[in-house]
Amino acid sequence: MAVSSRRLQKELREIKENGTPVGITLLQADDFATWFLSIEVLGETLYAGEVFALKFRFDPQYPISAPAVQFVVDDYYKAPVHPHVYSNGHICASILGSEGWSPVLGVISICITLQSMLASCKERKPPPDNDGYVQRAPENPKKASATYP
Amino acid sequence: MTDTQNPPTINDLRVKLCYICREEEFHDKPAEPTVQWVHPCNCTLVAHESCLLSWIQSAQQDSKRAPNALKCPQCGAQYELESEKPLTLRILNSFNSVLQHSGKLVTVVGTVGLAGACCFGVYVACTSYGAYALQEFIGKELYDILLTDDPSNWPYHAYINLPLIPISLIFSRTSFFQSFPLPPLFIAWATSQPVTTTETLMRATWNPQHNVSHSFPFAPIMNWPPSPLMASILFPMVNRLYRKYFTQFRHWVMGTQPAPRPPVRRIVWDFNEDGPGQIRVGINAAVEEANGRPRRGGQQREGNRAGAEENNHGEQDQDEQNADPAAVAERTIRVTSGSLGCFIGGALLIPSISNFMGSLLLRLSKYSSLLRWFLAIRPGKTSSSPVDSFAAWFSKYDNGNATPMRQFILGLRTATYTFFGGTKVFAESDPVWWRNYIGLGIFVLGRDCLNLLHLYLTKREIETRRIKSRSFAGIDIHELDLINPPRPAKTDTNTPA
Repeated sequence: MAVSSRRLQKELREIKENGTPVGITLLQADDFATWFLSIEVLGETLYAGEVFALKFRFDPQYPISAPAVQFVVDDYYKAPVHPHVYSNGHICASILGSEGWSPVLGVISICITLQSMLASCKERKPPPDNDGYVQRAPENPKKASATYP
Repeated sequence: MTDTQNPPTINDLRVKLCYICREEEFHDKPAEPTVQWVHPCNCTLVAHESCLLSWIQSAQQDSKRAPNALKCPQCGAQYELESEKPLTLRILNSFNSVLQHSGKLVTVVGTVGLAGACCFGVYVACTSYGAYALQEFIGKELYDILLTDDPSNWPYHAYINLPLIPISLIFSRTSFFQSFPLPPLFIAWATSQPVTTTETLMRATWNPQHNVSHSFPFAPIMNWPPSPLMASILFPMVNRLYRKYFTQFRHWVMGTQPAPRPPVRRIVWDFNEDGPGQIRVGINAAVEEANGRPRRGGQQREGNRAGAEENNHGEQDQDEQNADPAAVAERTIRVTSGSLGCFIGGALLIPSISNFMGSLLLRLSKYSSLLRWFLAIRPGKTSSSPVDSFAAWFSKYDNGNATPMRQFILGLRTATYTFFGGTKVFAESDPVWWRNYIGLGIFVLGRDCLNLLHLYLTKREIETRRIKSRSFAGIDIHELDLINPPRPAKTDTNTPA
């Protein structure tokens, strides 16, 4: 079995045994290629009461290579309006790029990081170059040339 | 028992949890077969050595991550990597980085220079470089007969041929034009006639009977060394054979399997040069079918390798790609030396290198008559002897009453002699160009071997890597899950358990 499957199995077992942190729910993990989790920010923040879904895609190199993570944008879920989140769901976070990623991180720690990224937001505002980026961005956020504003 | 003099090590942990693959190992249930664990830093992270090595390797291949490849992602401590690094590898590595730095310098200087010069400047620079390259390559003596230093004597084709020399040299280094760099530099000169300088004019005036010696202006057909024109056509073939066998040799040394795809494509490209399109397509399909049908399993594996060598970020079967030290070694070197300056500077040095190697061979030939014969070293013509021209020869045969048939035969004869024998100018002077060709060939062989040695040693280095494990000194031992927990309050009075 590929290294990524074994590692994801461990992460899944841990979630099933110990549960997920507050505000984070596992929506779907049927295989070791794509997972969905939902996050919401609790307490007095700009996103109170909103629920967002995250889509994780893993390649066989995971955890040596970072997973592709983005917010789900469909009929039910929307991406949060945030200076580091494009309206197509792509996220500008250093830990998701190849330079910031390390195998110490995992699915749950990414969710926690993104949760606190939303919680600490002061202003509901899309990134400055949102329209241009959304037009030319590839479908997979890992293939986009990353810039961290 | 643990105390500050003997801090616990990785072997004292009750449970080891790899921070990369998240596998656990209990001290009383060791894994079968044994797996090497390391504690490489100053925090509590531990990992399988193999996991950590593949993480380091993948980080080193990304130029942005490479500086942090050997740092713990949590505490930032530098990993200590031990591997077999013989002196030769270290010398070659530092040589590589010196080359890279001077390559950067060439890039900077070159960019500034080009921006400053207008098109004419570029043209003049290319032309004078071309003249210099030609002189380096065919030797001073022939250069003075065919071209001279004074541009007013130059034949018209020199103004097109010379500036193309540096350009073709540079293009010959790209993967699209893998043929030997010198044929374009040379073909036009193989048939060129001596230039008319004031000196030769003077001689003609004072010595009329000397110049009208309407002798045959070609050398005998089978001559040693081969005629320049023949050599320029032969060398690409020699080069192709050399590349083919050197690649096989390289695969043998590196222990890799030759990939079927790239050679197929190269053959197709060669047909592309002169064959009609339809034949090319037919051959392409036939070769691929022949390669693909008989063995399924083997083809699958070799296909992976082709992918591994060609695109670094292909997503298919990266497991195997990462595990192969030969492919990794190749990429590791490629990342560090791919600089534009190195590329162009290296291309423009070719004439000087071949000249240097040629004169080295000349010096060596003093000690061996066989080498002297092979290089066809001759004292060379003195400049005072007459040189005959095509025009004089033609006027002798073509007395104004030649039939078209006769003219055709004459033309055919000229072509045959030019191809196999070469002009007398070339045949009678010291064939500097010949030993330069040979010298360049030896240089290329030496360079390829050195490259291969570097690749091989790098591969060995990657295969022999070990990460140094440290003790847990400096960490509060009560944080650690030890097999033998520290006895409370005996060595440490601050923290009663």
